[in-house]
Amino acid sequence: MRRYIARRILNLVPVLLGISLLAFSLSALAPGDPALRILRLQSDAPPTRAAVAKLRVELGLDAPFPLRYLRWLQDAARGDLGESYRTGEPVLRALALRFPATAQVAVVSTLLALVISLPLGVFSAVRRNAPVDHASRIWALVGASMPSFWLAYVLILMFSVGLRLLPVAGHGTLAHLVLPSVTLALGGAATLTRLTRSSLLETLGEDFVRTARAKGLGSFSVIARHALQPGLIPVVTALGIRLGHLLAGAAIVETVFAWPGIGKFVVDSIYDRDYPVIQGFVLFTGIVFVLVNLLVDLAYVWIDPRIRIEAGRG
Amino acid sequence: MTGKLRGMLVAVVVAGLAATVPAGAQTPAAKQELVVAIGADTYRLDRVRGDVALSRVGGPAKSIFETLVRLGRNYQLEPGLATSWEFVGRNTWRLTLRRGVRFHNGQPFTAAAVKWTFDRIAQAGGGTAVIGEGSAKIVDDFTVDITPTAPNVRLIEQIVHPTYGIVAPNTFPGPATEAANRPTGTGPFRLVEYVRGNRLVVEGNPDYWGAKPRLQRMTFRFMPDANTRVLGLRSREVDFAVAVPREIANELEKTPGIRVVRSPVGQYEAVYIAIHGKEPYVLGREKAVRQALSLAIDKAAVVRNVWQNNAIVSQTMIPASMLGEHTRIVKGTPYDPAAARRVLEEAGWRPGPDGIREKGGRRLSLVMVVGFPNAEIHRPFPELAQGMLRQVGIEVRILITPDVSSYETQLGKGEGDLWVEAGNQNDANPCFLPDLLFYSKPGARQENEYGLLFGPGPVFDRLIEVCRTTADPERLREVAAQAMALLIDQEAIVLPIAGTFNVLGLSERVQGFLPHPSGLNQGWEAVWISN
Repeated sequence: MRRYIARRILNLVPVLLGISLLAFSLSALAPGDPALRILRLQSDAPPTRAAVAKLRVELGLDAPFPLRYLRWLQDAARGDLGESYRTGEPVLRALALRFPATAQVAVVSTLLALVISLPLGVFSAVRRNAPVDHASRIWALVGASMPSFWLAYVLILMFSVGLRLLPVAGHGTLAHLVLPSVTLALGGAATLTRLTRSSLLETLGEDFVRTARAKGLGSFSVIARHALQPGLIPVVTALGIRLGHLLAGAAIVETVFAWPGIGKFVVDSIYDRDYPVIQGFVLFTGIVFVLVNLLVDLAYVWIDPRIRIEAGRG
Repeated sequence: MTGKLRGMLVAVVVAGLAATVPAGAQTPAAKQELVVAIGADTYRLDRVRGDVALSRVGGPAKSIFETLVRLGRNYQLEPGLATSWEFVGRNTWRLTLRRGVRFHNGQPFTAAAVKWTFDRIAQAGGGTAVIGEGSAKIVDDFTVDITPTAPNVRLIEQIVHPTYGIVAPNTFPGPATEAANRPTGTGPFRLVEYVRGNRLVVEGNPDYWGAKPRLQRMTFRFMPDANTRVLGLRSREVDFAVAVPREIANELEKTPGIRVVRSPVGQYEAVYIAIHGKEPYVLGREKAVRQALSLAIDKAAVVRNVWQNNAIVSQTMIPASMLGEHTRIVKGTPYDPAAARRVLEEAGWRPGPDGIREKGGRRLSLVMVVGFPNAEIHRPFPELAQGMLRQVGIEVRILITPDVSSYETQLGKGEGDLWVEAGNQNDANPCFLPDLLFYSKPGARQENEYGLLFGPGPVFDRLIEVCRTTADPERLREVAAQAMALLIDQEAIVLPIAGTFNVLGLSERVQGFLPHPSGLNQGWEAVWISN
């Protein structure tokens, strides 16, 4: 198992190299000049061509692409992701400063989505074609179709403007965490409910479930001990992907709720062509996804004994 | 966010405004505390003022730092930390400083603080006032001479901008959480707390030299989303929301307990026509085409339908109030589609089979680039203008740039005929915008993409040079008006569409608020909370 984990972590190196190169290339290809943007942010005046050219040299943007990439790679290997063009702060610090807020809302909303979707999906599968199943499927369809910003406004209107129960926006207390988490959770829960239902329906048709029933086990035992665990595999996969996405920031929800996370910061950095932040973020996201995938793979091992054997050999 | 999505969310908010039951009138606390929802925290390490985002519209900059000269609501100059000023020749202004003023840390305000601040400004680039190291010279404790590094008699009108706010000597930029780095000015409010991305709190300065602020405490909450700011106001979580979207303003006005106020005109919407474009963006070189464009856009309809009357039709790009009686020099262009057709006919542009005019086998087809400062704020003006121009036989293809960087790149390459921009006036120099955008003398200090694409040439440049060198304010206004007339009436390079307002929403409890046309120069000292 340790060897397996070590191998997966080692896999990070080529993955990160690949995505950093991709991110670097895309930044270089995108229209826009960071030097021009910085000067424009610093003053009301459109900068002169000479000033832009001077700053490009200062930022090292005049160097050829491969050289810039190699320089960045060298620094990144030492843990130095450079400084944000916009804010002047070290990229690593800037990301680390905003990540806790993002992680807070990502973890809470993922747990909330799980708490909603798991019982609903199971109940829906067990009571297939019953009213509760129809209701759950409609909810899943509506939930998955709702744009997050729209849902956010509806929730604010209900709970902040109407009932005055929760703050409209901001960060700092548990109350502030509720609406952004619920907004993100509802969309995710809808998808996970559908997935749980369909996956469980498939498992419920398997031979080993029929055998368990034939042995005279009760319905609860059959589902809880036999059907649910293997049925969870696709759900865990989807959950992992969702968590990875959320840890990389949810810019729209962060903007609506004035949540000081990583998402809006990065979107603004993209608008301003803040290359060091963009590169740092891509690297960071790559690490997050690889680690979350690793956790998902380990969860498979826990869920499915057959995978455990494979992992043990790995 | 796309226009469609934006439309949806506006519909949701408007529906919510109409549907939610307004809360009953609350008995306000006697505390003089105000919560203001402002835009995103545009944090950046400011080499002059420290580790705090201080220059947002409606933001706290003006409450903490004061400028030597203030900008009045009619763009007039008013004494600030300087009580008087005079031009003493040789590109130098002498300012007499106010006595008895202290910084928030107790330091006395003297000429040393002015020198220290201006030297810092020089290190940070010098700004539009072209300040260099040593530009500020101490004459005595309360007299200072300021000499820009290039001919610039407009200094006094420029230093009203909050970026020239005076900072306490020997306070250093760095994390504002550390007392030594705390942004320290002389303003009516002093900084209490700054939580990045969340809030900035100030409290009334009891030692303020001027009229004491009536508010004890103000919390500026960073809310990047305009709809959230409005919802915060609706929920009473905030007392004040800046930059209310024009689509919501009229509906919000009907909400009990909330007032909507509009500033005098301080911003504009305009179309610039490229006159120095390269193929295929060369049609703007022809004056008849530019004149037809300016005649064919119904500005009153744009104000009505796009700005929902939160703007006025303006014949100039800059606020007309800045030009005084000389405003009449700028005539502006009436909406006259028949005249537009006639001008095009006379220039040889004849309608083709699909109604779009042609000349010498070339279609009258123009690219309209939209994206400064972002594409959203212009919508749906480009589409409306497209329809109007089609009526006279001009085809317009709209190019929406995804962000301002892309717009700037497009501008740098000159790939477009019509450039839709919104801007604002934050200082008292009426020549600021024409100088900045259209002065094009080769090798000039501010040679930039705008001048290269739109600059009318030597006659205009000479007017701007008079602007830069005259010490007579009346002459300045007259020349600024002449420069505007050249751009708008004679050459039709600039099509002013509207002068727009800052729209702000506030609780009825908030009293004494006078909206400033320049959001950056908004003052708060007269504001109080009623019972």
